[in-house]
Amino acid sequence: MKVVTGVVGNDIHVVANRLIELSLNARGYEVFNLGVNTYLEEFFDAVVETGAEVLLISSLNGEAEGWSREVKLLKAKYKHLDNLIMMIGGNLVVGSANAEDIIPKYKNYGFDIVCHQVDLNTGLDLLESFIKDREVKDRDTKESNE
Amino acid sequence: MSLLQEERKIILNNEYVDSFDFAEVSEFVKNASKDLFISHHFKNKNKMLVQPRGGFPTYKKQFALNEFFVKANVDVLPLTIDSNTRLNDYATAKKMLRLSEENDVDMLNGYPLVNHGYRTTRKMITHFNKPVSLRHGTPDARLLIETAIASGIFEIEGGPITYLLPYSKNFPLDKAFLYWKYVERVCANYSKLNEPINRESFGPLTATLVPPAITIVIQLLEMLLSLEEGVKSFSVSFSQTGSMNQDIVTGAVIKKLAKYYAEQINCGDAAINLVYHQWMGAFPTNKDYAEQLINMSTVIASMVGADKIITKTREEASGIPTKEANAKTVANTQYTLGILNGLPNIVDEEEEEMLTLQVKAIMEAVFNDPADTLWRKVFNSIKNGIIDVPFSPHIINHNNMITIRDAKKNIRIIKRGNVPIPDRCYAYEKAQCDLTKDTTSIVNDIIHDIGIMQ
Repeated sequence: MKVVTGVVGNDIHVVANRLIELSLNARGYEVFNLGVNTYLEEFFDAVVETGAEVLLISSLNGEAEGWSREVKLLKAKYKHLDNLIMMIGGNLVVGSANAEDIIPKYKNYGFDIVCHQVDLNTGLDLLESFIKDREVKDRDTKESNE
Repeated sequence: MSLLQEERKIILNNEYVDSFDFAEVSEFVKNASKDLFISHHFKNKNKMLVQPRGGFPTYKKQFALNEFFVKANVDVLPLTIDSNTRLNDYATAKKMLRLSEENDVDMLNGYPLVNHGYRTTRKMITHFNKPVSLRHGTPDARLLIETAIASGIFEIEGGPITYLLPYSKNFPLDKAFLYWKYVERVCANYSKLNEPINRESFGPLTATLVPPAITIVIQLLEMLLSLEEGVKSFSVSFSQTGSMNQDIVTGAVIKKLAKYYAEQINCGDAAINLVYHQWMGAFPTNKDYAEQLINMSTVIASMVGADKIITKTREEASGIPTKEANAKTVANTQYTLGILNGLPNIVDEEEEEMLTLQVKAIMEAVFNDPADTLWRKVFNSIKNGIIDVPFSPHIINHNNMITIRDAKKNIRIIKRGNVPIPDRCYAYEKAQCDLTKDTTSIVNDIIHDIGIMQ
């Protein structure tokens, strides 16, 4: 499965980004890592270009919040992205806040999986179970259609 | 008029420069006090020089910081430049400086030297009459270093590789080489007038599991690029690795090879010094622990035989340090250096041999690149992954080298990528590590290895 990943905005924190790439590779994904300092358009362009099924955006300095408000608007300009799995993780606010407040906010911005200050492998486990659940659902829908 | 002089005129004809007087500046450097030249102190020193880090936006606050440092018996004063100036955005720096001056709140993370100008800054530098080191991170530092030298700052940190690969995603590396060539030439020319201007490379790089072989190769290459332009005083540097033995081995090999390669290009007359950075990775939030770590770094610097140590503060984990905390580190470090006597001489011949072989193999691969000049050879070598810096954010960097700590916390190369680590050394490096683990546990180990001091 193809994944596009990178750090959003003017954020140059690179360490976790490299570790995400290593871990995704180890889990058998085909990774397209755009690195740090990546703008939203670049993420969606890369998804179209590679035909990725997952977009995993990360943030450390918290500026993701500002950018994420534009996600739905921007995504609507692209065709065929309805089935794209949208995931975001890292430190998702400038300053501090509770995960209970942050997660619904980001889901509202258009993300399927939201990980605020969650350990890397826990986050990637969430992605795996999300993908499995969706496969089951797709199969069920298909079967009921038949 | 030489091409360089024509370029200097263009650079200094910047709207943010208040008429640069070439003749007056040359006259100033020619007659400047020897005490302002770190190269003079290196020549006559009998102890390791202590230099903190620090920069505030306003003249007033920078002056006050320097007063604190001098009271704490500092050897070398720092002048850290704000991030807007580093990106040549003098307009924003100007605006933020005004806001800082009017509201007494710091709106910049350093001293905007170009906006203050050399006439003002020189007053501060000559008042304290201590050597000052310019700390920045600027790919195009042409205007900045002209202003610095005119102000009496006779040590310039940085280089085309060490100020780019750790800090930038896509600033063009070839441009950085050419901009730094200008810096080297200007430093070399001023060096003829008085004591030499010292150039210092930034060895810590990303400060994240960078193996000594990569650090040393980049130090040597920036040294050669500088010496070939006529610089006569150069400092190579590295930061604490996390293993005392690896630091001592790194220090021994870098000293030996710096001399060797300088002689290879007939620059054996240049003075080469060694600078050691106290731990540059993530710091403990507990300020007492931070002080213990800083103290240990000082002990290791002595074991390494560094000529200068650059300090951290107990507030490292929480942001830009106060002048009090910063001066406290200087006093503590001086105290530790004063009581460190009768150090044992430790030599690890096997490790030194392994590291020397690695460095020489990479250097040979760089020299064998078919390009016609050294900077192009180095540029190509970074582009094709012969030089690969772990955790660099730059798009040109290959990121195919993977490093991890062994049981003794030495940084080891477990995946060499395109870097020509000789097979024997590669086998030795890997033999020190447990490679039976799966990638997920290795990633967990890397996370742990990065944060070992926290």
